[in-house]
Amino acid sequence: MIQQIAAFVLRGEQWVFRAGRDDFSAARAQAASCELFAEDDEDEQIDDELCSCYNCAYRRWLADSFHCTKR
Amino acid sequence: MTDWLIAIDDTDDIGTKGTGEIASEIGELLQAADSAGRVSFVTRHQLYVHESIPYTSHNSAMCFSYSGSLSLAQIRQMAIAHLQQECAPAADPGLAVVDLALLTDRAALQQFGVQAKQQVLTKAQAYQLAEQLHVSLSEHGGTGQGVIGALAGLGLRLGGNDGRVKGQFQLGQADAEPQAYSVAEVLQQTGLDGVLTDQGEWLADDATLWLAGKVKAVFTQGRFALLVSAGASGWQNASKQQLKDY
Repeated sequence: MIQQIAAFVLRGEQWVFRAGRDDFSAARAQAASCELFAEDDEDEQIDDELCSCYNCAYRRWLADSFHCTKR
Repeated sequence: MTDWLIAIDDTDDIGTKGTGEIASEIGELLQAADSAGRVSFVTRHQLYVHESIPYTSHNSAMCFSYSGSLSLAQIRQMAIAHLQQECAPAADPGLAVVDLALLTDRAALQQFGVQAKQQVLTKAQAYQLAEQLHVSLSEHGGTGQGVIGALAGLGLRLGGNDGRVKGQFQLGQADAEPQAYSVAEVLQQTGLDGVLTDQGEWLADDATLWLAGKVKAVFTQGRFALLVSAGASGWQNASKQQLKDY
């Protein structure tokens, strides 16, 4: 839980992924520990490893990262 | 026979049918109504991601071409009925349709598409340009904000250098162990136009490809292309990470 909280930072009202848009290892590690991961539409996935925050239906892209709508 | 481009945007929400799927279904409806017509692949075009753009899901528009005998009124009637049936309640869908023969200022439409990837645009700007270019542009629920992306989708498709092809291609390849195919085989089985390396080289028909997992294509240089990169055994299909910038 501590690791999950550390992976995101509160920016305004959004929990933003600290590692940004291109850290696939971090996105996979985070999703692996998340019970709420849900596969997004296949055409919107950008990571070959399915279980990745970058493939999650609950992420919303930002210019520099994404925010998690489930936090 | 008339050549049309049709684009939609902002139709989905979390857990609902994706915009690409809805675009494909509209294409299938047109094909069913005009069996002699031709419907192309659907392309996905990523638009600008900015905090002031209230996109519902991904802010990507979907576009396809249709060549056939249906009129604008018939195309719109089928597309709108399907949007109203399938769009998510929270969506702000937009629909754009253009007869390419009547489009005199292609550069202006392409420019709008490029701008929509780089800056915040307004509905007023979209409607103004659509009127000027004789593009049919309409909104079908919510704020109707999707008209911006729909018009941009037309422009980006017209530009010929943007987007990924919706869906993936099944050639009997395995998930993990790469299998050999010739370029000619791949083009014949998929209907794609060519195979492009990540270094910008189009491969000859007799070149060998090693395909595994999800095989996806991009739209570049006005062609539907399978993107490949050099791997341990030869040319292999690009990973999703390599495709994400399209």
